[in-house]
Amino acid sequence: MSPTTAPGQRAAGPARGSRGADVWREVTHHGLFWPLLALVLLILACGVASPGFLDVTVRDGHLFGQLVDLMRNSATPLLLALGMCLVIATGGIDLSVGAVMAIALAVSLTYLDNAADPSAPGTVLTAVLLGLAVGGLGGMFNGAMVAGLGIQPFIATMILMVAGRGIAMLITQGQITTVTSPPFKSIGSGFVLGVPTPVVIAVVTFGLVVLLVRRTALGMFLESIGINREASRLAGVRSRRTTWTVYVIAGVLAGLAGLVYGAPTMAADANNIGLMKELDAIMVVVLGGTKLDGGRFYLGGLLVGAMLLSTLERAVIIFQLPSQTTPLFKALVLIAVCVAASPTLRAMLRGRRRADRSDAPAAPVETTPAQEVTA
Amino acid sequence: MSTDEMVRAERPAATVVHRARRALSGFDRRFLPVLGTILTLMIMLGVGQERYSTERVDFISMKLLSNLLVDNSYLLVLAVGMTFVILTGGIDLSVGAVVALVGLSIAEMFSAGLPIVVVLPVAVLIGTTCGLLIGVMVQVFDIQPFIASLAVMFLARGLANVISVNSLKIDDDGFSALAAWSLKFGEGRELWRINASIVVALSVLLIAFLVLHYTRFGRSVYGLGAGDGGAAVNLMGLRPARTRVWVYVISGTCAGIAGVLFALYTKSGFNLTGIGMELDAIAAVVIGGTLLSGGVGFVLGTGAGVLVYGLIQVLIAREGLDSWWTRVFIGVVLLAFVVLQRVLAVRRR
Repeated sequence: MSPTTAPGQRAAGPARGSRGADVWREVTHHGLFWPLLALVLLILACGVASPGFLDVTVRDGHLFGQLVDLMRNSATPLLLALGMCLVIATGGIDLSVGAVMAIALAVSLTYLDNAADPSAPGTVLTAVLLGLAVGGLGGMFNGAMVAGLGIQPFIATMILMVAGRGIAMLITQGQITTVTSPPFKSIGSGFVLGVPTPVVIAVVTFGLVVLLVRRTALGMFLESIGINREASRLAGVRSRRTTWTVYVIAGVLAGLAGLVYGAPTMAADANNIGLMKELDAIMVVVLGGTKLDGGRFYLGGLLVGAMLLSTLERAVIIFQLPSQTTPLFKALVLIAVCVAASPTLRAMLRGRRRADRSDAPAAPVETTPAQEVTA
Repeated sequence: MSTDEMVRAERPAATVVHRARRALSGFDRRFLPVLGTILTLMIMLGVGQERYSTERVDFISMKLLSNLLVDNSYLLVLAVGMTFVILTGGIDLSVGAVVALVGLSIAEMFSAGLPIVVVLPVAVLIGTTCGLLIGVMVQVFDIQPFIASLAVMFLARGLANVISVNSLKIDDDGFSALAAWSLKFGEGRELWRINASIVVALSVLLIAFLVLHYTRFGRSVYGLGAGDGGAAVNLMGLRPARTRVWVYVISGTCAGIAGVLFALYTKSGFNLTGIGMELDAIAAVVIGGTLLSGGVGFVLGTGAGVLVYGLIQVLIAREGLDSWWTRVFIGVVLLAFVVLQRVLAVRRR
C-alpha cells in the first residue's frame, strides 16, 4: 500500500552506490516528491511571471499578499480533503461532500434569515452549529448506507450527491437566500491575529484531525479497515462503527467547508455552492500521495495537495490564460503526478537503468516510511 | 438465512420441493434487479395512465415511448457504454465532458467547412481517443479508473472551454436534414415518429447486447468484474489487459456517439453541456440492475433504467412540480434500487 518499491527485489549486494544517491532515491521515491516539486515549481514560475507574487505585507495588522490569498483559497479544499482522506483510507469514497456543503449553507443561512437579529453572536453560533449538525446528519446517512447496509461507498454517497442539491433547493425554496450578518461573514472573510479566518479554521481543524488520527489508534484502525475489512474485524477492530464515524466526520467537515466557502458572499446558491468540489477534494487527496484503494493515508500530503490546487487555479490567471482553461491544467497536473508516481513507470525506468549497469546491483533501500509526513 | 436453515432441517421430507424452489429462485434472482426495474417502470406507467390520461389520449402510447427515446437517446448510448465499464468493476466519469467536447468540435468543424461525412466520424473518434487515454492509464499505469477518468474529464472539459465558451450554433444543411429526418407512424394525436437518434441508440443497444452475451469479449468483460481483478480471466486464457483497455474505448466511443446525438438534439455545441451527465448515466445503469462492483448486470436492464429515468422527468413535469424535485426523486429511486440489490445479494449468500 505504501508508495515504496518492493525492497525484496533489490539484490542485497555490496553497497556500491554512494550515500548521496541513496538519499536522492529515497527522496524521489517518497510519495510527496512529485506533488511538492510541482508546487514549488509552480510558485516560482508565478513569482517570475508576476514579481510581486511572493511578497507578503502587513496592512492594518492583517497579512496581505498573493500567498496569503492562496492559503485562504486552500482552506475549503483542505477541509473537504481531510474528511475525504479518512474515508478513502477505509477504502471508501464520499461523493456527497459538495451537496452537503450546499445543504449546510442553505440551512444556516435560512436560519439566520428567519432569526430576529441575524447579527447576534448567539444566533450566529446556533446557525453555525446547525450547519455542522446538518453536515453530520448527511454523514450519518452515508455511514448508515455504507457501514450499516454494506452498500458500495460510490453509489451510497452518490445518492446524497444527486438528491442533496435538490434538498438544498427545497430548503431555500429555489431562491438564493441572502442575509447580512457581519459575525457570520467574518467566518469567511475576517482575520484572527492578522491571519485570514478560513486559514485559521483549516489549520486548527487539520491539527485536531491529525491529533485524533495519529495520537490515538484510530488512524491504524482506518488503515487496517482499508487494507482488509474482514481481517481487521476478526482482529477486534469495530470496523462498522469506525467506518460510520469516519463518514460522520467527513460530513461535519463538509458542512464546515460549506460555511467557510459561502460566508464571504452570504448567499445560499443551492445550485452552485460546492459544485464539483467533491472531485477537487478527491484530487487533493490523490495529489497528496494517498491511493484510492484504501489503506495507507498521508494527511501531510493534503496540505501540499490543497496548496497545489489553489496555486494552479491562481497560476492560470497570473499567466494571463483564460480562466476557463483551468480544468485543462488540472488534468495535466493530475495525469503527470499520477503517471510519475505509478509503479509501472518506475519499473520501466528502473529496468532501463538496470540494463545500463546490470553488473552494479543497487544498494538495499529501506522502505521509505512516509509516516513522519503526518506528524 | 434463517429460512435456509429451516428448509435444511426439513430436507428429507421436502427434497423435491426444495430443489424445484432452488432452481426457480436461482433463475429468478439473477434477473430480480431487472424485474424490479421493469416493475418500477410498470408502476410509473400505471400512475401516469391513471393521472394524466384524458378521454381522447391515453398516457401510455407509442407517442410517449418515442418521445422518451428521442429525449433520452444520448443518455441511452452513454449508459450502454457505461455498462461495459461498470461490468468490469471500473467507472468512467469523463463521458459528460466528452459530450460537451464533441458537440463543440462538431460546431467548429462545420464552421471550418468540412463535409458531414468527415465531421461525424471524427467527432466519434474524439470520444474514442478519450476512452483510449483512460484505458491506457488504467491498464498500463495502474491508475484507478476513478482518477484516470477524472483526469480525462478535466482534460475534455478544459479543451471544450478552449474551443469556445459560447454556445456555437450548428447550421449545416446535411446535419439539419439528419436532425429533421424521421419516419412517421399514425395520424393526428396518435402521431409518433422514429428519428435518426432513436435508430442509432437502439442499434447501439442491440450491438452491445450481442457483444456482451454472444462473444468471447463479452464473457471477458463479465469475467473481469467477477473474478479477482482479471486474474480469473487470465487463468482462463482470455485477455484481461486488452479487454480492460477495450471497455474504456467502447465507453469513450459511446460518449462520442452520444455527443453527436446530443448535438443533433440541440443543434448546437456548448461548453457547459453534460455537467453531471456521467452521474445520470451511472444512475441509469444502477437502476437497470447492474452492480457497481462489477460482474453482474444486463445491458437491456440499462435500457429499462434509462426509460425509468426519463419517465421520472416526464411525471415530474406533468405533475407541475419544480424541477429540483427531479433530483430528489432520482435519489429516492436510486436508494430504493441499491437497497433492493443489497437485500437480494444478502439473501443469495
